[in-house]
Amino acid sequence: MLAPSVIHLVWWIGIPVAATFVLAFTDYDILAGTVEFNGLDNFREIFSDETWNASIWHTVVFTFFTVPVAMAIAVVLAVLLNVKMRAAVWYRTAVFMPHVTATVAIALVWMWMFEPRLGVVNTMLGWVGIDGPTWLADPDWALTAVIIVSIWKGIGIKMLIYLAALQAMPEDVYEAARIDGASQIQQFFAITLPLLKPATFFVLVVSIIDSFQAFDQLYVLTPDGGPGNSTTVMTYEIYRTAFKEFNMGAACAQSVVLFAFLLVLMLISRRLTGKEEDVR
Amino acid sequence: MSAEKLLQGDTDRGTRPANRIPLARLLRRTALHLVLATVSLAMVLPFLWMIITSLKTDPDLASYPPNLLPQVWDWDNYSEALEYAPFGTYFKNSLLISFGHTAFNLVLASTAGYALARVPFRGRTLVFMVVLATMMIPTYTKIVPQYLIAKGIPFFGGNDYLGQGGHGWLDSWWGLIVPGALTPFAIFLFRQFYLSLPRELEEAARIDGMGEFGIYARVMTPLVKPAIATVGLLTFESSWNNFLWPLIITSDTNLRVIQVGLSTFQQADQNAWAYLMAGTTLATIPMVVLFLFTQRYFVQGFARSGIK
Amino acid sequence: MRSYPSSLSRRSLLGLGAAAVASTALTACGGAAPGESGGGSASLRLLTPIFDRADGQELLASLLEDFKKDNPGVSVQVDHTEYGKLNEKLTTSIVGGQPYDVMLMGVGWVPPFAEKGVLADLGATEAELARMYNPRVIQPGIYDGKVYARPILLDTRMGIYRKDILAEAGIEAPPQDLTELREMAKELTIRRNGELIRAGVDILSNDLRQTYLPVMWAHGADLFDGGNPVFDSDEAVDALQWMVDIIRTDKIEDYGFTQQGAVAAPLVQGRAAMMVGHNDMWRQISESAPELIAEDKVAGFMLNQQRPALFQGGTLATMSAETSHPEQAKKLVEFLSGEKVSPLAAEQRGNIPAVLSAADSPYVQNNKLVSFAVDNLDHAFSEGGVPTWLEIREEFKPALENALLGDATPAEALNGLARKAETIIAEGP
Repeated sequence: MLAPSVIHLVWWIGIPVAATFVLAFTDYDILAGTVEFNGLDNFREIFSDETWNASIWHTVVFTFFTVPVAMAIAVVLAVLLNVKMRAAVWYRTAVFMPHVTATVAIALVWMWMFEPRLGVVNTMLGWVGIDGPTWLADPDWALTAVIIVSIWKGIGIKMLIYLAALQAMPEDVYEAARIDGASQIQQFFAITLPLLKPATFFVLVVSIIDSFQAFDQLYVLTPDGGPGNSTTVMTYEIYRTAFKEFNMGAACAQSVVLFAFLLVLMLISRRLTGKEEDVR
Repeated sequence: MSAEKLLQGDTDRGTRPANRIPLARLLRRTALHLVLATVSLAMVLPFLWMIITSLKTDPDLASYPPNLLPQVWDWDNYSEALEYAPFGTYFKNSLLISFGHTAFNLVLASTAGYALARVPFRGRTLVFMVVLATMMIPTYTKIVPQYLIAKGIPFFGGNDYLGQGGHGWLDSWWGLIVPGALTPFAIFLFRQFYLSLPRELEEAARIDGMGEFGIYARVMTPLVKPAIATVGLLTFESSWNNFLWPLIITSDTNLRVIQVGLSTFQQADQNAWAYLMAGTTLATIPMVVLFLFTQRYFVQGFARSGIK
Repeated sequence: MRSYPSSLSRRSLLGLGAAAVASTALTACGGAAPGESGGGSASLRLLTPIFDRADGQELLASLLEDFKKDNPGVSVQVDHTEYGKLNEKLTTSIVGGQPYDVMLMGVGWVPPFAEKGVLADLGATEAELARMYNPRVIQPGIYDGKVYARPILLDTRMGIYRKDILAEAGIEAPPQDLTELREMAKELTIRRNGELIRAGVDILSNDLRQTYLPVMWAHGADLFDGGNPVFDSDEAVDALQWMVDIIRTDKIEDYGFTQQGAVAAPLVQGRAAMMVGHNDMWRQISESAPELIAEDKVAGFMLNQQRPALFQGGTLATMSAETSHPEQAKKLVEFLSGEKVSPLAAEQRGNIPAVLSAADSPYVQNNKLVSFAVDNLDHAFSEGGVPTWLEIREEFKPALENALLGDATPAEALNGLARKAETIIAEGP
């Protein structure tokens, strides 16, 4: 049963991934078509580049804020919307909308909304007496702006997965809890969240991977790494190294570093969410 | 507004007598709707702005301070935007590719996810970890090898048995559909859902003498409908919004997709704002329709009362 | 030098696959492209980031019909892409061993691609080209003394001003030099309660590097000298200081007042009196504020200090070194950069035709910014010149931003930039 998928996966993703690992240790001149092993030179080169090191930090900060916030909002919304009520359909559609629209156009709209003087964001901050920053033009705020957009965009898919997971929840457990007099909030923490563990593990891992590879919204909102390279992230640096500087070997080395980060984070997530096999 | 009230708003239907505390209930309901409506508004605000922008004229767009609503509702933007590129062909191509990806992904990923979740075999955890690992290398590093593989498919596009001499799957439906037909994401999602089904079901089926495939197809899969809906929806959507791969492996305008069409509205020096917004609005509609259609797989709530 | 640790043995199978891919890449590059060589008949593949949109595609298709009439037996397959994804298309096609026969690309691409042997020497001489094009326009296509590319269209960055706003302040002529520009801009800036209402000059709507470079050239500085970076010279520092003064000292414009890609440039909205901008501004204005053009309120001026300078970018036609039909491909390059196609391609994009003969065409005459650029091409400067330019130019924006934001002095920013460039040049392309 596994065979067709494994063949497909090895062929179309496995080989490219393996190639990445091999090419990371080479000087691969993509234009001249020459490949030469150069040991750890690529890694030495990339880690001596301040921009790359800064991009690692930005990626970590970006993920640290984007993933948990979006997940928390998503799980609450999923529970609230897991009901039979006529309006739920429209609420869900609204929450899911940001995910389905092509990022480029909607990121351009956000660019407008972050306009310092007359943008929606600062206008609304003005109502409560806050003098908003210049957002995308301010090195101290640009990353925050991008994080806000990414949370907004990421809620929908997470809610959908939680919603799907909630469908499999057995009612009998809740009934027992109600008889025991557990409040709704107690039920949420004592029953719902533990039962959502496999889904949570999934959402967490996928969100972290996604977040580490976020590209489109950053590329549109803060082109070329943002003001003073304040929003440059690992994926953008990889893109820049590979396709603006044609240095494929170094780009592969950067990808391997990204991979290592994700691997560690995945193992931590597995710890955090527990061995999901034991749930039932 | 406390979170407790919010959470109480949803699941109590039918479990308590409906008229026990009608006023408190009504208040809770109202509060819940108020919160959800606010959140929804925040989520769709950029779209409203997008639609409004798609109806503005160029001078209107440039006016300062900006106007909230269009001075003139310029519906012609939509028909003009469609003339920017052969959108009829692009739309058809995108539809075909999205359907192809969705169908393949549902079959392949659900079987793989099932095997990883429920069929014990040596190295299962390793295979699963490798599946996860394949998601961890960014597109931009994978794309060149993937291009080379597509080009080197033996016996296609004038290639010999070594995959040399021709152009393989470049500029072909094969190349557009097959490489993206299975996502590790979908395998992972299916695995998580199959994992959460109770063991008793499987054991009962085995006692009835059912084979592994029968258990997969007739017992387990019907129980993960929400997962099927989720994977179907997300595959279709990501395939619909894919841009880079279709652009890279085709050179023929007749094989290009809707996102390539939308990119013609963004030029190096200046975007065609109204057209871009009109085009994106049109491209979003099928996705919203699809979502509304898929909805019914998520509305069962507690009605199905779990798995006995 | 390199050995697999034993724990990696499980991956050796995958490693094998990767090696297979790498070797495919190698053999594919050396391998022959399909199709017959020699003779009159050939099928050429053309990659173009211009001739975009449906109208551009139609225009190119009809022009290619003419080409086929003159060259019976030759057919052309067109691959339309956009500048944003040009590198991905070029790279994959080169790696795949199927480079396009004819590739249209930007100014910065020529030196690295020529250096790597991707482009073929077109076998033309400067003198020969000078009959068709302005000598300054030919330069970006020349590398190491050989012609690798012929220009089709140009895009420029220049000073643009609002005649009505200047006239209102009693100023009759645009600034003669950058010192006067700064004084004038101070006078034209309007602030209300500290809030910027109108910027005297807008230097933020355009790509920052493309704004800085003409200012730098006007100050008498250059990018490279003998392949070494000299953009940290005193003149270059003065140029950046001039920009920093506009933002930080004189507060003529606030950082964040506008940005590249904004819906409308402040100049169009009357929120700026002058700007450093793209000639494409003309098209933008004619769409968003046609009355400004009808009433003759917009015009260009030269950025001038030690010398007048116009920033010149462009799209050039090149031929692959790997093509199996060099003769026909060269004809296509000449056709696309020729007197018939160049003006039409430029008009479709709102840019400047590369050929001299188009100077008097109605399109050029009616577009005041294009005709201003055409009249001043003798003062045009192009960026690039070293094979690593595409890599070096990436470093400009953050460095310039650091100076404009006050995180570094202009001298510090440019020195840091020049040291980075030296490292990149030393590492080689």
